[in-house]
Amino acid sequence: MLIPLVLVGAALFSLGLIGFVTRRNLIIIFLCTELMFQGIVLNLAAFGRYPLSGPPSLDGQAFAIFLLAIAAAEAALGLALVVLLYRYRGTLDANAYKVLKDS
Amino acid sequence: MLLLTLLVVVGGIGLYMALPRGRTAPARGVLALLAVAAAAMLVAILINLPSGIVTPARPTMVALSVLALLAAVRVVTHSRPVYSALYFVLLVLANAGLLLLMQAEFLATGLVIIYAGAILVTYIFVIMLAQQTSGKAPYDTEAREPLLGCLAGFVLLAVLAGGIYGTAVPGELKRAGPGGPLAAEAIDVRPDLAPNAALLSDVNRLSEPGPGHGTTERLGTHLLTSYFLAMELAGVLLLAAMVGAIAIARRQLSGMEGAA
Repeated sequence: MLIPLVLVGAALFSLGLIGFVTRRNLIIIFLCTELMFQGIVLNLAAFGRYPLSGPPSLDGQAFAIFLLAIAAAEAALGLALVVLLYRYRGTLDANAYKVLKDS
Repeated sequence: MLLLTLLVVVGGIGLYMALPRGRTAPARGVLALLAVAAAAMLVAILINLPSGIVTPARPTMVALSVLALLAAVRVVTHSRPVYSALYFVLLVLANAGLLLLMQAEFLATGLVIIYAGAILVTYIFVIMLAQQTSGKAPYDTEAREPLLGCLAGFVLLAVLAGGIYGTAVPGELKRAGPGGPLAAEAIDVRPDLAPNAALLSDVNRLSEPGPGHGTTERLGTHLLTSYFLAMELAGVLLLAAMVGAIAIARRQLSGMEGAA
């Protein structure tokens, strides 16, 4: 059971990465980081439940719970920044904020 | 291994075609065909993989995995942000089902409450606040560098999947055959890490109904003993994030361009 679950987790992470790189809407970019978090939660729980050696432990689940806390903090701060940026420029297009890019 | 490579290639091409791209509407028939083919290959791979130490409800796991991955593809490719967020809710529900199969009941409920209940509601609020125009915004219907993005993501996926698969089946695929005589005892770890009887009894102990019926009670004890300091720090972090979010979102735009 470990291998299929870890494969699915890797696929979720890769999909989130692709979305993060290719989408241009700031909100969707943040949503794609949450997609990557989902893959990681699955991985952590799977490795805790079916470890490669030793008995199964609850450490994977505990780590996943801390990850939920981090994800909540990240979502709150990231969305606050998105709201601020939207009031500043009136658009959610990531290309509108190119000032940070080296020209 | 061949099937896995094929799946990664087909998935990459399909995702590249499905990404929103300006005025040219994607060919829906081809996309549906590719999705069905990818799902069929995924089911074949997941079924043919070596079975685990314990095998709970495998068809359920396969179905939930396919559902989660299809929802994830729609999150990435849908050109309307609200639909992306709703597909993300579907993904979270499928993921919670997978966690239930792993006897992570508390984590599954927590995932549904925190993600589907709290975080996604915040996302949908922000989407509603920021998308005043009717119709699709131009930055939603056009992907940025879809070819390079898909290439990078699927090369990463191929490397990860190849490594994971190589760990599972070192060189010989025959052991993984579903009808083979070894299928019942096949394990998903390297042969030198094969479980002994003591390990198997440990595995079964985790699935026994305890006093709290499930792992919730032991997880709570574990969190408040082994990870006590980290728990308190997580609370402080959440408080700091809340204060920071309020401070950022309330900032007045004096001296900047006016709001749209």
